[in-house]
Amino acid sequence: MTKINLYRYVIITGLICLFNLLKLNAQEKITFIPQWLPQAQFAGYYAALDQGFYSEAGLELTIIHPLANISSFEYLKNGKADVVSAFLMDGIKQREKGTPLVNIAQLSQHSALMMVVKKESGINQIRDLHHKKLGIWSSGFDDIPLAFMNENNYEIKLIRILNTVNLFLMNGVDAQAVMYYNEYDQIINSGINEDELNTFFFADYGFDIPEDGLYCLEETLVNKREVLKKFISATFKGWDYVTRNKDYAIDLVVEEMNKAHLPNNTAHQRWMLDKILELMKPGKKNVKKGHLLEQDYYRALSVFGSIKPDYCKQILHLENFHQPLLNE
Amino acid sequence: MKKRNLSIKIISRILIFCIGLGTIIFSIYYYYTRAAIQESTRENAVILAENTINQIEEVIEPAEKLPENLAWIIETGVIPKDSLQYFLAQLVKNNPAIYASAIAFEPHIFSENTPAYAPYAFRNGARINTIDLWSPDYNYFIMDWYQIPAILQQPYWSEPYYDEGGAEALLSTYSVPFFMSKEGQQVLGGIITIDISLDWLTEIVNSVKIFDTGYAFLLSRNGVYVTHPNHSQIMNESIFTQAKEMEQPEMREIGRNMIKGQSNLTSLNLKDKGKVWIYYAPIQSTKWSLGVVYPHNEMFESLQNLNIIILLLAFAGLGLLLFFTIKIINQQISPLAKFADSARTIAEGNFNTRLPNAGNSKEMKELHDSFEFMQKELDNYIVNLKETTSAKEKIESELRIAKEIQMGMIPRIFPPFPNLKEIDLFASLESAKEVGGDLYDFFLLDEEHLCFAIGDVSGKGIPASLFMAVTRTLLRSVADNKKSTAEIVGSINKTLSFNNESNMFVTFFLGILEITTGRLRFCNAGHNPPILIKNKTEANFFNITKGIPVGLFEDFNYSEEVVQIEAGDQLFLYTDGLTEAEDKNNKLFEDNHLLDIIRQYAESVPKEIIEKVTKEVSLHVNGHIQSDDLTMMSIIYYGTKK
Repeated sequence: MTKINLYRYVIITGLICLFNLLKLNAQEKITFIPQWLPQAQFAGYYAALDQGFYSEAGLELTIIHPLANISSFEYLKNGKADVVSAFLMDGIKQREKGTPLVNIAQLSQHSALMMVVKKESGINQIRDLHHKKLGIWSSGFDDIPLAFMNENNYEIKLIRILNTVNLFLMNGVDAQAVMYYNEYDQIINSGINEDELNTFFFADYGFDIPEDGLYCLEETLVNKREVLKKFISATFKGWDYVTRNKDYAIDLVVEEMNKAHLPNNTAHQRWMLDKILELMKPGKKNVKKGHLLEQDYYRALSVFGSIKPDYCKQILHLENFHQPLLNE
Repeated sequence: MKKRNLSIKIISRILIFCIGLGTIIFSIYYYYTRAAIQESTRENAVILAENTINQIEEVIEPAEKLPENLAWIIETGVIPKDSLQYFLAQLVKNNPAIYASAIAFEPHIFSENTPAYAPYAFRNGARINTIDLWSPDYNYFIMDWYQIPAILQQPYWSEPYYDEGGAEALLSTYSVPFFMSKEGQQVLGGIITIDISLDWLTEIVNSVKIFDTGYAFLLSRNGVYVTHPNHSQIMNESIFTQAKEMEQPEMREIGRNMIKGQSNLTSLNLKDKGKVWIYYAPIQSTKWSLGVVYPHNEMFESLQNLNIIILLLAFAGLGLLLFFTIKIINQQISPLAKFADSARTIAEGNFNTRLPNAGNSKEMKELHDSFEFMQKELDNYIVNLKETTSAKEKIESELRIAKEIQMGMIPRIFPPFPNLKEIDLFASLESAKEVGGDLYDFFLLDEEHLCFAIGDVSGKGIPASLFMAVTRTLLRSVADNKKSTAEIVGSINKTLSFNNESNMFVTFFLGILEITTGRLRFCNAGHNPPILIKNKTEANFFNITKGIPVGLFEDFNYSEEVVQIEAGDQLFLYTDGLTEAEDKNNKLFEDNHLLDIIRQYAESVPKEIIEKVTKEVSLHVNGHIQSDDLTMMSIIYYGTKK
């Protein structure tokens, strides 16, 4: 090797190292925390990460699943997460509590919340639930049922349950509040046939309130607007990819669940993915992808207001709560 | 060729019968054997499942007693509240089956100002640690193990769970509610639990093996696999999620029956494994269900092997049967072909041909004897035939000679009197047999008298011919111009009647024509009346006379009659062989028919007229056998002036 060649070699190698260093530095770090343990509800994020949509957008994304008993907002507040996913009702509640958060994308456009009863209980109409026992999550999601009871003057005894359907299966409660994409299928997967159940979707009773959305602190939105935009864009790309590659998505979900040592099976995750994707479609709503419909927002506020009338008076304008970043 | 066909026929029928019979027997055998195997496998599966369940119950039941007894102890309040942790620790320590135990109190039950308290003792390696389960992050009141028995107020076995970070094992918690007296009322005091490891249970269930791939599995109350040979299914899949993924709704139904606590043996067609049998029965204490699965084809594998052997043996047997049947049949019927050859040889006239060996079958021996008998009979028959034929030939030659003699006795040269211009005469005699009983004769008694006669002896053949010869000889000897025809006939009658033991007779017509005058004297002894053709135009029968045939009554007086014959008249005499000639329908020639023909040929000379009548008769009989002698004689009188 000649001297000139040696210099040339050193220079080229040095440039490559410098380029890689710069490129690495260019990757913006971002942490996303979904609101629950790994499951098909988050397939879009796994797919976007696995397919390199985030890194293509110059992001170095970290997904951290929360502990079962800790709200994702806690991670937002203590700075451990840049973005979290949460239900719209929870977002509004959190805002009411004073956390300066903003909804930067609305994924779900519909409500999957419902009540199931066994037909053998004799509850065939929703008014039959008056004075009955309803099993409901201890962790929340009770705003809509409570608002529904208030609006209809039903007295339903709420039995707080951690997260299983066992009490319902053993007839310890008359009815159970479930998510169509999750606990409903768990009941079916415990040997109860669909025709043995009566179902009451809150969406059918004027409570079609969207659920999953992405939230960040106002401060983060100001400081990392471009990064967040890239994140949202890559995330929706991930969900689009999932829509086209469900089997692949299920495999990813199962992998994530195995990593987290969670019991899992493809049948249930497939069901969940199908229903989640269904919820993301606008349906009859005239809403843009990633946006929150104004009516839905105010309907959610009114639901919350029926529980907390004071809050209702200081109505927060949609623009303050929701700043959609997709295709901005 | 025939032999081949017969043997193929017999063999194919035997073969069809054997295959049919074999198929029926095999089907019955197969059906019952399958049923027996299925039944015995079912019994085995049931026994296996029951044994496994018993083994599980043997661990579960005593374990259940611990919290139940503890509940009673706490309800009685004999344990000081401050020693509960120690008590629990001892309980866990002394019961190796128990991983941990807790006494979780309802709010303010342990003490007025304790909202929650749940002492908990658990194994930590060799040590037993105790803690209070309650913390803001662990609200046990909403945990299944607490909430369900508390609300249902009955003991509860939790869904099995993998205790990560703790026991590192599959656990199930048994929770028993206890009750306390508060303000005079029995209220729920809390829940006592024991956590037991299910490793032993997995071991028991996994030890169940049926055939090659048969196994047992355990379902939780929710249908989740607690044990399964495929470890990835355990605690992940339920029988229902599996049924959904495999798109097997029948499997879901089985799962539903299982978690309902039913027991049954049923079959299921799995898309990946084919038909399997599953027996399931509940574990009563935990409300779990044990299933025992065994593949259908493995259940009958031994039977399939046996079937192959049986079928091979059956085919071999059938082959041997075929071989020996062909051999035996061919052996048995092979003489038939030889007999056929013999029959052909015999038919060719070789009666003494050697018959084939009949073998030792009765039927063949009978056939052989029949052939032998036939040979002898044919031989005898031919010998007889030869003798008879030569005798017949001898008789025939004698008869031929007799005929020649007989025919020699009657005049057969025509015209008989060429120099006698007044008359012409023709006669014919055809015997039905070689020799006959008809006769005719004519001769000149002197220059002016022609004597002629025609007769018919009763019967035919040699006796009649002899009688005829005697009659003719008598006629020649007694005929005399000086006697009347009646006298001549009477004389003949007398001679013939004398010693006529054979009672033969002869119808006889005798005429003497006076040539110069045409006067005809005649005597008719029972013979057919002759026909007189007058003027070559008219023809009529002679009148019937009262004379009886000669040879019957010795003293009968015959009478003579006289008729004048004119020149040109013709006499036609015949025997009944003419008028009674039969055609094949037994129709007679008849007198009238004869008269018509005579009239038709009235102008013909004697020879012509006889030839015409002969032709007409042969037309009438048309080939039918001549049954009687046929004799005709015709005399034409030309008169003296010719």
